[in-house]
Amino acid sequence: MIINPDGTKPIYVQISEWIETEILNESFVQDEKVYSQYQLAEMMNINPATAAKGLTKLVEEEILYKKRGLGMFVASDAKDIILNKRKSNTLTKLVDDVVAEANHLDVSETELISMIQTSMSKLRGEKE
Amino acid sequence: MKAITCTHLTKSYGNKKAVNDLAVSIEENKITGVIGRNGAGKTTFLQLVAGFIKQSEGKIHVLGEPPFNSLKASANTIFINDTMNLPTSLTIYEILKMGNEFYPNWDMELAERLFDYFSLDRSQRHDRLSKGMKSTFNMIVGLASRCPLTIFDEPTTGMDASVRSDFYRALLKDYLAHPRTILLSSHHLNEIEELIEDVLLIKDGTNHLHVSVSDLKEYGIGVQGESTNLEAWLKGKDVFHKRELPMNKAYAVVKKEQLDPNYKQAGLEVAAVSATDMSMYLTGTSEGGIDDVFK
Repeated sequence: MIINPDGTKPIYVQISEWIETEILNESFVQDEKVYSQYQLAEMMNINPATAAKGLTKLVEEEILYKKRGLGMFVASDAKDIILNKRKSNTLTKLVDDVVAEANHLDVSETELISMIQTSMSKLRGEKE
Repeated sequence: MKAITCTHLTKSYGNKKAVNDLAVSIEENKITGVIGRNGAGKTTFLQLVAGFIKQSEGKIHVLGEPPFNSLKASANTIFINDTMNLPTSLTIYEILKMGNEFYPNWDMELAERLFDYFSLDRSQRHDRLSKGMKSTFNMIVGLASRCPLTIFDEPTTGMDASVRSDFYRALLKDYLAHPRTILLSSHHLNEIEELIEDVLLIKDGTNHLHVSVSDLKEYGIGVQGESTNLEAWLKGKDVFHKRELPMNKAYAVVKKEQLDPNYKQAGLEVAAVSATDMSMYLTGTSEGGIDDVFK
């Protein structure tokens, strides 16, 4: 992963999202230890306090849990929490954008729904 | 523990106050970026911290005591900038050996390895080095000294892009292994944004804002839309920056906490503001930009 400092997302958010993605990819599995703030700092070339902030965010969201003196570990329902969060945040926002754009282009509701259905069947077709 | 505390710190040169009633406290073992425009008072502030000059008014404590004329402060502080006076009768390698004798935490092995990595010539004299090479050498002195308080004032002047990024990487790695209080001044926040924990914005010789980098990133928000709508919406809000855009539109930056939800009804769009842009708007002199000069 490459940190984008000019991006509008704070670096600690980029760090926590990266760890989330690695959990979804199963690079880190349940009860496995994740990187420490110092390892992250070294890997990503960032201040260790920023890395710690990214980890703390995940602990607050109960995606990681802390073992005193040992480090941070992946919680048992980490994947579900991440998926639910992404569904409610990312997907809702994307749908809002799609609806706004459809409105802008005078696409009707039925037309939009059928476009989504076409896209879904395309995806299914590719999978088979 | 606090590494640096100052209250009402003022330094006057004639009737110009280079540092003016500055109050700040900086915690131990953090990397703080000191950011400000040219002539804002960054270097004077750093010289006061290093104990190179004495304040005209106010108080300053560094590592527990006033730094001016303090042997403790000079043994525990190193101040690196491009006007450092180093003896011209010594070769740069001999200067390293002097550093080794003076600074208790000096790491000679690190100094030598960096020396070789950046292909410095041991028999060179400091005043014969090119601008970039001089900065590189000074940076090696700053890192190898491992001083509890390490101050880099515009350390990358004249360095090429690759040496600059090597320097920041070296600084981070050495800081991870040996945490210490580091002040790093720069015009370019974007270059050091990932490296630092806190930002101290200096404007007109005083502490304009002292926050963490992530808070700076979330400090302001950009709002854009039809000029008239935007103008109306901005009433009663603190505007950091405003500029006209084509097609009767305008862009403004306000405090994030002042973003009331009715911006959507006004047909406005919002976008985050990068820390670099935010620091530029905060340390700027007027709301307008260069375009106002040509009006």
